[in-house]
Amino acid sequence: MKQRPVIDVSELPSVVFGSRAPIWWGVVGLVTIESMGFALLAAAYFYLRGGASEWPPPGVINPPLALTTTALLVLLASSFCMHEAAKAAKRAELGRILRWLIATAGLGYVFLVLRGFEFASMSYEWRSHAYGSIVWVIVGIHTLHILTSAVEKTIFIVLFIRGPVEDKHLTDVATNEVYWHFVSLSWLVFYVILYLEPGFFRP
Amino acid sequence: MSPKSVVIQAEPETPEADLLDEVHHRLEGAWRPEKGFIGWLSEVRHTAIAKRFIVTAFIFFALGGIEALLMRIQLSRPENGLLSPDLYNQLFTMHGTTMMFLFAVPIMEAVGLYLVPLMIGTRELAFPRLINYSYWIYLIGGLLLYSGFFLSMAPDAGWFSYVPLSGPEYSPGKRVDVWAQMITFTEVSGLATSVTLIVTIFKQRAPGMSLNRMPLFVWTQLITSLMVVFAMPAVMVSSSLLAMDRLIDTHFFNPGEGGDAILWQHLFWFFGHPEVYIIFLPATGFVSAIIVPFTRRPIFGYNAIVLSLVATSFIGFGLWVHHMFATGLPQLGQSFFTAASIMIAIPSGVQIFCWIATLWGGRIRFRTPMLFVLGFIAIFVAGGLTGVMLAAVPLDLQVHDTFFVVAHFHYVLIGGAVFPLIGAVYFWFPKMTGRMMSERAGKWSFWLLFAGFNLTFFPMYQLGLQGMPRRVYTYLGESGWTDLNRLATLGGLVLTAGVVVFILNALWSLRHGAIAGDNPWDADTLEWETSSPPPSYGFLYLPTVHGRHPLWMPRENQPVVVGLQDNRREVLVTHTLDAEPDHRDIVAGPSIWPFVLALVTGFTFITVIFTPWALPWGIVLAIIPLVCWFWPRSDMGRVILKEKA
Amino acid sequence: MNALAFLAGSGFAGRQSALNPAGPQAGRIEDLWWLMFWVCTAVFVLVMLFFIAGMVRGRRARKERGVEAPMSVEPGVERRMMRTIVAAVAATVITLFGLLVASVATGRSISPLRVPEDALTVKVIGHQWWWDFEYQHPEPYRIIRSPNELHIPVGQPVRILTTSADVIHSFWVPNLHGKLDLIPGRTADTWIQADRPGVYRGQCAEFCGHQHAHMGFLVIAEPPERFAAWWERQRQPAPEPATPLQQRGRQVFLSQACPLCHTIQGTDAGSRVGPDLTHLASRRTLAAGTLPNTRGHLGGWIADPQSTKPGNLMPPNPMKSEDLQALLAYLESLR
Ligand code: HEA
Ligand code: HEA
Ligand code: HEC
Ligand code: CUA
Ligand SMILES: [Cu+2]
Repeated sequence: MKQRPVIDVSELPSVVFGSRAPIWWGVVGLVTIESMGFALLAAAYFYLRGGASEWPPPGVINPPLALTTTALLVLLASSFCMHEAAKAAKRAELGRILRWLIATAGLGYVFLVLRGFEFASMSYEWRSHAYGSIVWVIVGIHTLHILTSAVEKTIFIVLFIRGPVEDKHLTDVATNEVYWHFVSLSWLVFYVILYLEPGFFRP
Repeated sequence: MSPKSVVIQAEPETPEADLLDEVHHRLEGAWRPEKGFIGWLSEVRHTAIAKRFIVTAFIFFALGGIEALLMRIQLSRPENGLLSPDLYNQLFTMHGTTMMFLFAVPIMEAVGLYLVPLMIGTRELAFPRLINYSYWIYLIGGLLLYSGFFLSMAPDAGWFSYVPLSGPEYSPGKRVDVWAQMITFTEVSGLATSVTLIVTIFKQRAPGMSLNRMPLFVWTQLITSLMVVFAMPAVMVSSSLLAMDRLIDTHFFNPGEGGDAILWQHLFWFFGHPEVYIIFLPATGFVSAIIVPFTRRPIFGYNAIVLSLVATSFIGFGLWVHHMFATGLPQLGQSFFTAASIMIAIPSGVQIFCWIATLWGGRIRFRTPMLFVLGFIAIFVAGGLTGVMLAAVPLDLQVHDTFFVVAHFHYVLIGGAVFPLIGAVYFWFPKMTGRMMSERAGKWSFWLLFAGFNLTFFPMYQLGLQGMPRRVYTYLGESGWTDLNRLATLGGLVLTAGVVVFILNALWSLRHGAIAGDNPWDADTLEWETSSPPPSYGFLYLPTVHGRHPLWMPRENQPVVVGLQDNRREVLVTHTLDAEPDHRDIVAGPSIWPFVLALVTGFTFITVIFTPWALPWGIVLAIIPLVCWFWPRSDMGRVILKEKA
Repeated sequence: MNALAFLAGSGFAGRQSALNPAGPQAGRIEDLWWLMFWVCTAVFVLVMLFFIAGMVRGRRARKERGVEAPMSVEPGVERRMMRTIVAAVAATVITLFGLLVASVATGRSISPLRVPEDALTVKVIGHQWWWDFEYQHPEPYRIIRSPNELHIPVGQPVRILTTSADVIHSFWVPNLHGKLDLIPGRTADTWIQADRPGVYRGQCAEFCGHQHAHMGFLVIAEPPERFAAWWERQRQPAPEPATPLQQRGRQVFLSQACPLCHTIQGTDAGSRVGPDLTHLASRRTLAAGTLPNTRGHLGGWIADPQSTKPGNLMPPNPMKSEDLQALLAYLESLR
């Protein structure tokens, strides 16, 4: 009987983290797509600004820096919590995962409340002028990201409390970190563009 | 990877037939689609979904073609009263939109969905349920556009819908909203498909298929998908901004309130130019795949071709302004975009030269797929050269928005993409169906298409130079454009005959074609190793490779992969660069929820046309199918860390 | 319909074509075109020669050596092909660089920077689906408007400023120059010059809605003296009606809906929604280059503009036949 060489892979693991896992690449793909979207919105912002005689238009009052800065810090803190959750996931410590996920989602919801105040303190609407349109859309889309992502975390929390938790959920939590960092860091950029920088140039 | 876990050992080459049979049955059990109508909607197998994509896209091609014929008949004589301007405007908008968004881009990706897993030797795509969702959302987008058409709500502002013409003031009603939402659907679908393809190509290649051994076809799919990821967000952003201007009174494009009409053009063409390479590059993949077996030699200049693809994809993002030369942008900027547009001729040239060298050094069999490749080379070079002419700003100012441009882009789109596509159908039809297409009818279809094509579109170059603008529903008799238009219409009829012969050939061969066997063309890549059509699990044992042309190399001592569990949908994940085995992953099986989610998404984005409140409601509604989609299923055979409470 | 044939007699200088230049810019662009044409033709022929030779060789090789042993290639041939390709790429780069230089040079020679400061300036305002040409002058009372007919002095550069009242249109007279878009909220400028007297047809080149196809105009290039005289005439208000019929026609005009949209200088009609009709009878065409300006066409147009230009923005004006005759008599007196 002739023999044929084979590669036996039955001993290979079936749970891995980071760039070894296909889902990680999927999330990175999603993040790339959304970063592109945000970058284009930023480009649109600067394009409109380049064509405007006065930017922001007269009469625009943006939310107080104290509010927006606090919100930013809350978001960055939640990013830290998410990092801890992912670390726990890599070590398969279910209890710690749950605690840090709750912290992350909690801070996410706090941020959403602050975001509500942020919207309320804008002196303009999306239909006031092009400035209003672009700012509302950027802030609005970012809010939508935080909202969906916080809900997603809540669902994870329910799953981790209720079970059944499978090995692959560890990878899911660990990869989720990438996405959450993306939404919070992208806000750092927009915070500078929308709130910090125009203030410096205004009398 | 811990190399220890991969054991190379010897096994009987021809195990007992009943052992093979048993493996086959177990795999069948794991990969079998679910039964019934619900099962049909839940299907996730890449071969099944890809076939749906391909058939649907060809139906849209036929619809777009019929619209083109109506336009050609209208233009066949001056001051023709056949079509009203209103109808004509809808027709060219529908034609362009259908061909670009519902035919060309999806079908190129669909062929990739079918072939990539087989070519890289894996059982399934990385995210099968996402692909199922992607198909339904695409179908909903297409149905939306065509129901709009039949309700007299078809968009009529051209396939790039320039504002302010497409804005709330000059296009009241719902026509443009239908267009904008259709864009959203097809782009979501395109993005989902691309991410899936990228991950599959990066992570699931057969052991030994390092990046530099990947078939060129797979390279083109990879690079195209990467381009999609970077380009399509632009059209999503722009169509969403347009929809908001129209539906909730934002002012992005309204000059009266600080908005800007040119912003639209930048955003659209930042997508629109890469889009044409998103259509063209996969077609070059078909060409590279077909030319090899029919010249009986490896492709000449593999590395050069890969580099050209990469270069094209990068430069392709720096050309968009060449569609906007007539807007009067600053001259310095224009020169930059001229230079970039001209530069892209270099990688295209390199590819053409390599193919010609492959012919030169090969032993050519002139079968139908090869004829389409040869036709492609002739037509594409002609079309590409006119692209170089268009890149020169002063010349473009004369021929921009004339039939010269129409001629250019049909040369590169039909010659450059549809010819290779039809060649690809002739080539892979046996793999997909197990039967050959008729060679005689194939030759007929080729010559009809080749002659008809040139007869239709060559006169358009001359028409453009003689001053005929595009998108005119009629023209005055004194313009001197009558004869050439008549010729073009005549050509259009010949072209149609070619398309019809092709379609009938495919339908006839489905039933009556000769039985193909596994590898009827004696081709070189892995998809020809498995049976035709492939079994539901792809390969009985996953193959490994040690070169670019696995089936042309000795196979006896080439190991196969064993040790994947055959009672669930398990795939082998390998390293991104060198494709060493890394771990085993379980891909998702059939589920109805992607379909339900597609319905919810569809419902949301369609009702949003009528009330903005649909959006929050839709998001809330979408949570249910999303959770169900990802909720753990007991039959997946995963390790349970914590039991259900 | 025999719309523009009559123009042939009145000095219509050939057809609307980019290859029949009548001005310096169209001329330079035509030169660039022929350069491109010959270079690209040469490239095409060369590539096709190699392509066909490759097919012939490949066919012979199959006949001679069959189709077995697919991995075998002849190293000598491979090396020669490699050298040829490197040479071809080098030639491509050089050719492309040459074309780039030619393009940029042509671009400079036609650029808007080349008009003298005091050149005649015409502002082109696009409307769905007609053209308004506003002749600029430092003294406001000398500013005139000439819808759908652009008169220019032969041999002199004319600055063109473009903008739009509604959607994007594009100003294009192939015999004189390439296009420039008319974009709402922006102005752009270019210049044109006709070196031969004559009538050149222009056409809107950016899709702008229903009647994009029928948004034409005429450029009338005439000797400077005649041009100056034309300008003087256009400055005058409409002549007073000379006959009772014309008198009645003016009455009809003012009592119908016409003044809601049209201007006739010297009367109370002063709206700018539609073309200025003060000198209607002096123009050669009606409805943006669509119909010859004859009595029959004018009457048909006024009674039912939607049959010739479906979807255009002038509503039908049903009226008694005598009223229409009077109106026509009046409008035809507006020289
Ligand atoms: C498959 C699609 C496809 C492809 C591949 C291309 C390829 C190219 N296109 Fe085309 N293009 C379109 C699809 C495509 N285009 C479409 C759809 C539009 C119109 C959209 C609309 O308005 O509706 C358009 C419009 C368009 C314009 C705008 C015209 C206008 O609206 O005014 C321009 C201008 O620069 C242009 C340029 C080019 C160039 C330089 C290439 C180059 O990539 C071509 C390179 C190839 C070659 C040059 C041939 C091979 C090379 C050699 C044999 C080497 C030797 C060559 C030389 C020495 C010159 N294209
Ligand atoms: C991949 C893209 C693609 C393809 C394949 C085509 C294919 C064709 N196009 Fe297309 N065209 C575009 C993309 C494409 N086009 C775009 C983007 C525009 C610009 C739109 C705009 O301005 O907004 C355009 C515009 C355009 C115009 C200009 C309209 C204008 O500006 O006024 C014209 C005019 O002749 C034209 C003609 C044709 C013809 C005759 C075909 C032919 O090749 C079609 C051949 C196919 C058929 C005829 C179908 C035959 C099938 C059947 C009859 C069914 C039979 C069924 C069974 C047997 C089951 N096209
Ligand atoms: C609601 C607006 C409106 C009314 C009322 C109207 N017109 Fe017009 N008219 C237009 C517009 C707009 C055009 C340009 C149409 C085009 O070419 O697309 C036009 C064009 C014309 C032209 C052709 C001008 C040229 O130089 O090409 C004539 C003549 C004319 N109108 C006469 C009349 C008369 C006479 C009446 C009244 C009986 C009238 N119009 C009422 C809007 C109007
Ligand atoms: Cu105005 Cu087209
Ligand atoms: Cu382009």
